[in-house]
Amino acid sequence: MSANLDFQEVNEWGGLRGFTNLFRKDSKAWWGTHRWWINALLWTVLLCGMTAIMLFASNDEVNNATEAEIAQAGGLIAYILLMGLNTFFEFGVPVLAIGTIILVQGLIIGEKQNGVAEWLLSKPVTRRAYIIAKVAANALGMFAILVGLPSVVAYGMLSLYMGALFPLAPFLSAVGIMTIHTFFYLTLTLMLGTIFNNRGPILGIALGFLLGGGLLGNLFEPIIYVTPLMLPNIALLTASAQAIPNGLGIAPLVATALLSMVFILVALAKFEKKEF
Amino acid sequence: MKQFNDFVIETHSLSKSFGDVKALQDVDLQVPHNSIFGFLGPNGSGKTTLMKTMIGLCRPTAGGGSIFGHDIVTDSVAIRERIGYLPQQPRFIEYMTARENLQFTAKFFYNGPQDKVWKRCDEMLELVGLEDKADRPIKGFSGGEKQRLGIALAQVNYPDLLILDEPASALDPIGRQSILDVIARLCKYSTIFYSTHILDDVQRISDSVAILNRGQVVASGPIEQILNGKDGVVYTVALKGAPDGLGDRLAELPWVAHTTVAPHNGTSVWQVSVSDEAAAEKDLLRYVLADSAVTVAEFKRKKYELEEVFMEIVKGDGNVS
Repeated sequence: MSANLDFQEVNEWGGLRGFTNLFRKDSKAWWGTHRWWINALLWTVLLCGMTAIMLFASNDEVNNATEAEIAQAGGLIAYILLMGLNTFFEFGVPVLAIGTIILVQGLIIGEKQNGVAEWLLSKPVTRRAYIIAKVAANALGMFAILVGLPSVVAYGMLSLYMGALFPLAPFLSAVGIMTIHTFFYLTLTLMLGTIFNNRGPILGIALGFLLGGGLLGNLFEPIIYVTPLMLPNIALLTASAQAIPNGLGIAPLVATALLSMVFILVALAKFEKKEF
Repeated sequence: MKQFNDFVIETHSLSKSFGDVKALQDVDLQVPHNSIFGFLGPNGSGKTTLMKTMIGLCRPTAGGGSIFGHDIVTDSVAIRERIGYLPQQPRFIEYMTARENLQFTAKFFYNGPQDKVWKRCDEMLELVGLEDKADRPIKGFSGGEKQRLGIALAQVNYPDLLILDEPASALDPIGRQSILDVIARLCKYSTIFYSTHILDDVQRISDSVAILNRGQVVASGPIEQILNGKDGVVYTVALKGAPDGLGDRLAELPWVAHTTVAPHNGTSVWQVSVSDEAAAEKDLLRYVLADSAVTVAEFKRKKYELEEVFMEIVKGDGNVS
C-alpha cells in the first residue's frame, strides 16, 4: 500500500479486528434509519398503553376484583398499581421477547443469504468481531428502545398514579430482570442464525421455547430453575416488593445469564467454521 | 516485458472438497508481482472456490498457499488488509448510499484523517465514473453501476492485490469495456488477479494466464507461452504444387518435432511444429524452397487465439504449463 502513507491505519486488537466499524454499522441500522423511532413508538405504545389502561381506565380486572384481593394488595390504589405492574412485566416481558426474536431472526441469516456477510468477511475482519458487534449493537439498541424507553414511561405513569415517586430500587431490579430475559432471546436467536440457513427453524425454536416452555416447566419442574421461563413472574414480584418463592430468586437469573453467554460462545464457534 | 522474480500468490497442492465433490484438486499456482493475471475456466471449474479459499472464506481440505508470504489459513486477516476483493455479484449495505458504502469500507482500513479518507472515497467514485450518483440509493443502480461501485470498494484501501471474480461477465459490451478500462488503469498500482470466461478480455489485457478445468490447473504461464499452444512453436506453410517427399525431408531435421498437412483452397497447408525457433526461422523456408516443384503461397509463424487454446485444453484436458 504505497500510496496510503498519509492515513492513520486502524489499530485494533487482532482478535477483534473490524469490530469498531462493524459495531458502528450495526448500530447505524438501529439509529441511522427509521427503525429506532418505529420501534420506540410501537413498544412504548404497546407496553405502556396496556399499563395505562390498567392504571387510568375503568376495566374488568379492577371492577371484578373481590374485596379480599384488594385488601390483600393493601387497598385499591395498591391493587391497581399491582395490576399495572402485572401488565408491564408479566405481559410485557414475554411480548418483548417475541419482538426481539422477530427483530433479530434475520440479522445473520439475511447477511448470509444476500452475500453481505461474505463481502464483510473479505475485509480485515475477524469472525469473532462480526458476531460480537452484532450482539453488542443490537443489545444496546434493544435495551434502549425496547426496554429502556417503555420502562421510563411506565415508571412515570406509576408515579403519576401514586401521586409520588414509585419506589425506584424494586422497579429498576425488575427492569434488570426484563433486560436479562430480552438478552437471552437476543443471543438465542443470533446463535440459531449461525446454525441454520433459513428462518423457519430459527423462529420455530425461539418462539417455541418462549411460548411452549411453560409446558416443559409443568412436565419437569426443575427446568424453571435453570431457564428464563419464570423471569416475567419474578420481575413482577420484584417490582411489587413481594416475596419470591424459595429457590426461584437468583437461580433462574444466573442460569439465564450463563445460558446467554453459552449461546454467544456457540455462535462464535459455529460462525468460525462457516464457509462462504 | 516484465521480469517476474517473485510471486504475490502461491498455492501448493491446494485442494478443496465439498463432501464427495472435488472442487479443487492439487492446485499449484504462482501469480507474479505486478501482473494482470487472468484466471480462466468454464462455469463450475472451481474459480470462485479458489478465490474464496485464498482470502479465508473457505478452508482448504489439503495443501495450502500464501499471499504476500502470509499463510492463507492462519494469516487471513493480514492478507485481507492488503487486498481488495470483488465478488461475482457485488454486495452492498442497502440502506447506505454509494458514498456511504465507500466510507464504511474505508473505515476497515483507516481511522483518519477523516478529510483524507473522504477524499480517497471521492477519488474512487471518480475513477469508476460514479461521482454524479454518489449520494443516490444503491437500489436504483444498474448492473454495470453496481459492478463499478464494487471495483471502487475493492480499491479504496490502495490494495497491493486486487482479486476480481468475473468482474465483467454480466455486463453488456459497453459496460464490459468500461470495466476493462478501469482494470487497465488500476494495474499501475496493484497486481490484478481476475477470473473470467470471456477469453477475448483476457487476451486483450492480461499478461499471465491460468486455465482451470474440473478443479485442476491445466495450463498456466505468461500469455505468449499459452498462445503458443501445447505444440509449442508452429510454422504454417501453404504450398501450391505437389511436393515430393517433403514430409520425410522435414522429419529428418533435428529441430522439427512433427508435421501435419491438410488441403485448403487448392493448396496444401503444412503445420510444422519445431523445437528450435531460431533454427526454424533461419532454415525452414530454405528447405521448403529447395523443392522446385512447389510454390510457397504463405509462410508464417502460427498465432493461436486464446479461445482456440482454451477449447483445445479444456476439451482435451491437455496440459500446457
